[in-house]
Amino acid sequence: MGAPLVSVLVPVRERPEPLADLYREYSEPLRAAGIRHEFIVICQPWFEHLASPLLELATAGEPIKVLQLGQGVGEATMLKVAGECARGDVLLTLPAYRRVRGSALAALVGCMDDADLALAVRWPRRDSWINRLQNSVFHGLVRWLTGSTLRDLACGVRAMHRRVLDDTPLYGDFFRFLPLLAQREGFRVVEVEAEQHHGDDQTRVYAPGVYLRRALDLLGMFFLLRFTDKPLRFFGLVGSASAFFGLTVLAVVSLQRLGGEPLADRPVLLLGVLLLVLGVQAVALGLIGEMIVYHHAHQRRGYRLADRVREPSPKDARSAGTGPPDPPTSVGSSR
Amino acid sequence: MPNRGGVITRKPFLSVVVPLFDEEANVAPLVSRVRASLETVSVSGWELLLVDDGSRDGTLAACERAAAADARVRVIPLARNYGQTTALQAGFDEARGDVVVTMDGDLQNDPDDIPLLLQAIEEGHDLVVGYRVRRQDAFVMRKIPSWVANRIIRALTRVPVRDVGCALKAYRRGLLDRMHLYSEMHRFIPALAVAGGGRVTEIPVRHHPRVAGESKYGPGRIWRVLADLLTVKMIQSYSDRPLALFGPVALVSFGVGGASMVAAVAAAFEFRPWLASAVVLPGIAVLSFGLGAFLVMVGLIAEVFLRTEASDAPRPLPAARELGA
Repeated sequence: MGAPLVSVLVPVRERPEPLADLYREYSEPLRAAGIRHEFIVICQPWFEHLASPLLELATAGEPIKVLQLGQGVGEATMLKVAGECARGDVLLTLPAYRRVRGSALAALVGCMDDADLALAVRWPRRDSWINRLQNSVFHGLVRWLTGSTLRDLACGVRAMHRRVLDDTPLYGDFFRFLPLLAQREGFRVVEVEAEQHHGDDQTRVYAPGVYLRRALDLLGMFFLLRFTDKPLRFFGLVGSASAFFGLTVLAVVSLQRLGGEPLADRPVLLLGVLLLVLGVQAVALGLIGEMIVYHHAHQRRGYRLADRVREPSPKDARSAGTGPPDPPTSVGSSR
Repeated sequence: MPNRGGVITRKPFLSVVVPLFDEEANVAPLVSRVRASLETVSVSGWELLLVDDGSRDGTLAACERAAAADARVRVIPLARNYGQTTALQAGFDEARGDVVVTMDGDLQNDPDDIPLLLQAIEEGHDLVVGYRVRRQDAFVMRKIPSWVANRIIRALTRVPVRDVGCALKAYRRGLLDRMHLYSEMHRFIPALAVAGGGRVTEIPVRHHPRVAGESKYGPGRIWRVLADLLTVKMIQSYSDRPLALFGPVALVSFGVGGASMVAAVAAAFEFRPWLASAVVLPGIAVLSFGLGAFLVMVGLIAEVFLRTEASDAPRPLPAARELGA
């Protein structure tokens, strides 16, 4: 058997660098550390042309497999699809651009003996203060909303046991929060400091829409982590607060009406009714959420057993979210 | 069939499920007390399931020592701390018994009460709930909130169980197949059991003061209990017919809207000079109509959900007993 096989998953989704150079840069340290590995590169349809140098390397005998998606999907789905094709027990995710020095990969793999997921933290940072400001604002919000103390969710370089990817519900744009979701499933997550790559130090400012999407992701994450099983606690709190203020306004103007002030031509009456209406709507949505949770509870397993005595259980039928939309076509393979 | 309603005709296999969170000092005494109590019980066999709910102390190691010493003791280690309800459900999923008894891991329940629970199950009940006589807990912090909560829960769910906080309960297997616990629903097990078509009764059980370890309850759960209570009420009465819940509220809303409309028209024709505004009353009418329409649509979406999603994987039907057979 020898050492366990490490599958390096590279989703090619945005700002890709020349993939053959990337492969050489990151496979070299792995080879030097004596780690058996394979690269699974998965491309969005519009990046197909970038794969040809890799295919040449694969034909030359390098352990590379290139997958081509039939349609554009989120990075979480790309990772799931790539994970299906990977043969290794340890998966290593790597963005298609340089984040950390290649030497970090061996350190991450080395953590797999006593952790389920190890994520690289770019430290010390060598990029501009604008990047670092964005990073610290984002992680400040993460800490405030979820209580997590993880420092670099954006890095994207992580090693994990296969079971982490299999057992963690992951979809859409939530790949960024994979370590958080894994922690919630009871996996041990560690951070490993890694030297930032000099290719990662240019200042990046995104379009406003990107920041809006990040904020919405974070809100979704906050809700999913805390209220998946009990939506009414969230909607009920919002709704009853709104209804309470509405009723207070209505009570005050009604009392003033008894005191002789006119009632019907006061705009504040409208505000009171509006708040009450919003409150009822929020509670109604919460009840719908509870109904969905209740009717799904018996097909959903709400816990994970610790790994030491995992036996297959008849109730192991979990809902794994939506499957991959299209089976990927294998463009080329090393074997 | 022995375990689908009706009277159990052969001796049942018994599973005892105990969720444990940071109860290291209580594990060994618990196991020996349960073992001693079950020697006298008339069952075909028994197992004791210790569910370790992600304890931070040596609870898991203590459980594994107990399991190594006695093959009837099994350990179910959860990957992290999920809370009492989920720990119970994990125990139910692993339990093999025809009858499942649950109790607290802090030795405040008395395993000697298990035969009484079993007897009530054999009389044909699906769920037997203990109520603690002469409860040994702090008066202000534990007993008063518990008394209030019991009163409210009884009044709203109309399940005549006087002590929803008592962990000592016995379940028939068939009921567990129809009932699934999640979130923090352990307080509402009797209500969920009735919603699942179960026959529920209660019997008095003993209660002892805590000897070792610390209580894991704190105040400040009132809001959560209230929100959960509303959920349970909805599940009990409306989970199969959401329009019946949202429809009447929508009607009230339409009524308010209609009344505002009438008043606005009256004001416009100056039958009532004090109704002067051309904005406020029509505004209220629009908001109320909007709310009514919203609620009807929410109810319709819920019906769509029930007809599609929920019917893909139907719940097991409740058991029905043939009378006079």
